[in-house]
Amino acid sequence: MADDKKTFSVFLAGIWKENPVFALLLGMCPTLAVTGDVKSALTMGLSATFVLLCSNVVVSLLRGLLKPHLRILIFTLTISTFVTIADLFLKAFLPDMSEKLGPYIPLIIVNCLIICRAEACASKSGVWISFVDGLGMGLGFTITLCILGAVREILSLGSLFGYRVMPDGFITMFAFALPVGAFVTLGLMLGLVNIINTKLAK
Amino acid sequence: MQNKKINPVMLFIKESWLLIVCSFVFGLLLAAINAAWQPRIEQNKIGNISDALKTVIPQAKNFERIWSDEQITLDESGKAQKVELFKATASGKTVGWAYTSVGPGYADKIELMIAVDANFEKILAYKVLFSNETSGFGDKIKNDYYKDQFKGAPADELELLKLGDETVIDDKIIAISGATISSEAVVSIFNTYNTTIKAVMKEKGLLK
Repeated sequence: MADDKKTFSVFLAGIWKENPVFALLLGMCPTLAVTGDVKSALTMGLSATFVLLCSNVVVSLLRGLLKPHLRILIFTLTISTFVTIADLFLKAFLPDMSEKLGPYIPLIIVNCLIICRAEACASKSGVWISFVDGLGMGLGFTITLCILGAVREILSLGSLFGYRVMPDGFITMFAFALPVGAFVTLGLMLGLVNIINTKLAK
Repeated sequence: MQNKKINPVMLFIKESWLLIVCSFVFGLLLAAINAAWQPRIEQNKIGNISDALKTVIPQAKNFERIWSDEQITLDESGKAQKVELFKATASGKTVGWAYTSVGPGYADKIELMIAVDANFEKILAYKVLFSNETSGFGDKIKNDYYKDQFKGAPADELELLKLGDETVIDDKIIAISGATISSEAVVSIFNTYNTTIKAVMKEKGLLK
């Protein structure tokens, strides 16, 4: 029972309390660069989740054999292997999305969220907890990216998942498709999350 | 007391065996996955080129690959660029030529499939094979509003203007509002490639 509670709290931490974007401010590069629309944000989020889950499990399995001076090398090797698999998968089965995301999929290798979880959780915890941590953090990252993508897509194009959702008279704001829109949306969302957290603390 | 000497090779293996084993296992895993998915990836690339050819010269019944990776020197720097050239035919008659081209855009490179008529005098159309231009601005180079200005334009030097009548088909191309760099990039690709490709084709006896 206590274990179940611990597992659940590890999972929930990734979604809200230690959300990679809103709380830890990690993985800012894809957060700002590929959230122009929901489809791209979802693909990036799921790719990062796959890499995070797999690398957490592998690092956790190897944790007893890791030597301090080889730690980062093993983490990077593991992460880059799963990023290459994700990249090949997109090229083979979702070529349009692979082209759209361009270098941002290979750049998951240097996403500090993944190496942070390998160091902070997987190298010190069992396989099950590392798996749940990867799943929670990955889903937290994906949900955040999708919310940002949805806000930006609606405001810049008046659509969601490529389908028009706003009425004909709706004035689109192209600035939200640009980097400035990403910064403004992220800033407003961070402010909103802080307000909610302050109210919850009271 | 004398220190025991350790063989450096043994020390290296002792310290790094995990890294060596991991590299080998991950390498095997990647090789297996690559072998399984590579045919599909290649098929996607061929499908992309094939779709582009049918889009730029819809009247063609058959496409023959003339150059698969011809190295063409495009500017004074002497740097060669890989070009694929296709001959489009219908009822045994040449109806046009299409070639791949690439140039710098606003955010990333832009790759185009450019089609010209049988005598290389007029542009037939172009299709964007790859671009990462800004959504809502630079990516309008894929829209008919911009692409239609090239249909029937002379296959010579083109000029980009910020203002003008985009319905008039001549060597003047009207830029996309808010995306001058992307518009200029497309015109620059045409200007860089058209003259050189035409000259090389004449030299190789492909054109009269």
